[in-house]
Amino acid sequence: MNKRSQVLSMFQHGALALMCAAAIIPLYWMVISSLKNESEIFTASLFPLQPTFGNYSYAFSQMPIVRMIFNSFGVSILMTVLQLATGLLAAYALVRWRFRGKSLIFALLSVTWLIPFQAIMIPNYVLINDMGLNETLLGIVLPFGVSTFAILSLYQAFQSFPGVLIEAACIDGLSDWGILSRLILPNIRSTVASLGIIQFINAWNEYLWPMLVTKDMNSAPIQIGLKLFVNSDTNMWGSLMAATTVSCLPILLIYLVLRRQIVDSFIRFGIK
Amino acid sequence: MSKTMEELYSPLVKGKQKAAARNWNSSKLWRKLKPYLYLLPAAILLGIWMYKPLIHTFYLAFHKWSMVPGTDKLFVGFDNFTRLLQNEAFAGAIGNTVFYTLGLLPFSIAIPLVLAVVTNQMNPRMKNFYRALFFIPMILAPVSVSAIWRWLFHPSNGIVNHLLLKLGFVQEQIAFFSDASWAKWIILLITGWKMLGFSTIMFAAALTGINREYYEAGAIDGAGSFRQFLYITVPLMSPMILFMLTMSLLFSSQWTFAYIDILTTGGPYGTSTNIYYEMYRFAFSNLNVGVSSAAAMLFFVLFGLIALSLNAVSRRFAFYDN
Repeated sequence: MNKRSQVLSMFQHGALALMCAAAIIPLYWMVISSLKNESEIFTASLFPLQPTFGNYSYAFSQMPIVRMIFNSFGVSILMTVLQLATGLLAAYALVRWRFRGKSLIFALLSVTWLIPFQAIMIPNYVLINDMGLNETLLGIVLPFGVSTFAILSLYQAFQSFPGVLIEAACIDGLSDWGILSRLILPNIRSTVASLGIIQFINAWNEYLWPMLVTKDMNSAPIQIGLKLFVNSDTNMWGSLMAATTVSCLPILLIYLVLRRQIVDSFIRFGIK
Repeated sequence: MSKTMEELYSPLVKGKQKAAARNWNSSKLWRKLKPYLYLLPAAILLGIWMYKPLIHTFYLAFHKWSMVPGTDKLFVGFDNFTRLLQNEAFAGAIGNTVFYTLGLLPFSIAIPLVLAVVTNQMNPRMKNFYRALFFIPMILAPVSVSAIWRWLFHPSNGIVNHLLLKLGFVQEQIAFFSDASWAKWIILLITGWKMLGFSTIMFAAALTGINREYYEAGAIDGAGSFRQFLYITVPLMSPMILFMLTMSLLFSSQWTFAYIDILTTGGPYGTSTNIYYEMYRFAFSNLNVGVSSAAAMLFFVLFGLIALSLNAVSRRFAFYDN
């Protein structure tokens, strides 16, 4: 290795290490603070000298954390499943057939990309209230039951599937439902899984809508509960960080297991 | 091969044709309907929760209403729009929206682009390790992130103030979230922090798609690294750059929403608010549905125009390596 490339390599690692530090230090500080006892929490020590789980037990006693995590899982799984189901059906129709109004449908789907949630929140809020679905998980899920992002992503995935195979299966007498569920789906499993991961994470992190629908901690997802706890304006920073750690934990654990796949799926599908 | 296929399938095809001929009419209708049936679940949900509310918001923009059930919506014409444009708080919010939108560009385009290029030639194992780490802020929930940063920047006990005092940069603690000259910078910083790793990875992914031969040719022609970056990397990356630019311009004000709500609620004195947060406040704090809807419609159209022109730009200028 010559001198120039050594310098370059050092610069590379320096830049990256700096970025990693910036990404990780806030998280490190969260975990460390959650383990410090009352006298230590206001000091700048880099690790707890007498680690304690007292903050966790206080946080769990102050709000129904288990219940809220459970709510979050319920909302996120239901949303993801609904979005994938409606998306698969719609994308199949768009790939498989030529029919009247198809270009209009594409135009309508693309427009949703530009609709900010603030432009539909009031009618949706009123409707959910009229249906009596406020403070329910279904109320959080319903408006997000379909995602045009999912439809269009699946449409792209379907397009790369060889049409000849579909024709052949059709001649074989396989019904359209059979083609979708037994021919296409098994072949694009990984795409659907990647998309599912993204939709799950997005659902888990959703903020504005769950905040409008739920006010009570027992029916709220963990994000909303955490927000209520943050705003309760106590100076209990240790237990607040404990609650925050718990709220991050499911996503971080999923990330630990599916690291490569999550990064790849975000690269593939981008964000919305 | 093709012959055997034909023999295999011909009885089936014939059988199908017969059955088809028998109830030709109903099956034809069925086939015509089938695409719409598959689209139906998505269409119903989109109709109820997306298009109808959008039209309803348009309707509400011309009415005065306070969201109280059973009360009448009063038609007021363009009154909501004129009141909106005369509202001083809203003018400030527009200014901040521009601030957030432009301020995020270094985090979503400039720094990530440089980082991606600098780290492009690394050994893949190290690259994956780094990637995995600086992707983390992206997947964390805005509420959790806000809670963490609120603690980091806590006026009296936060680690940031601790360090600044100790290193002698400041004489007294800074109240980051209630100081008008700091609040919006902190919100910008958090949004950028969340965006940085993600953009870097997006650009790095686009970089790996570039053919190395261009650089070899460039080097033979005597182009240094900077010129290579300017004349080879940037043009070949232009589709990704324009994509990230579009995302950043259109959505940065939406990304800041949660941080504004949790950390500053738009204050102090409205110095950290943006248009989307004001729409929320008009509706749910002031119960002024009309003005909120008018603002939503105005910016739906405005951002739509921005998106259209960006789309035109990317068609005109994005360079694709065929």
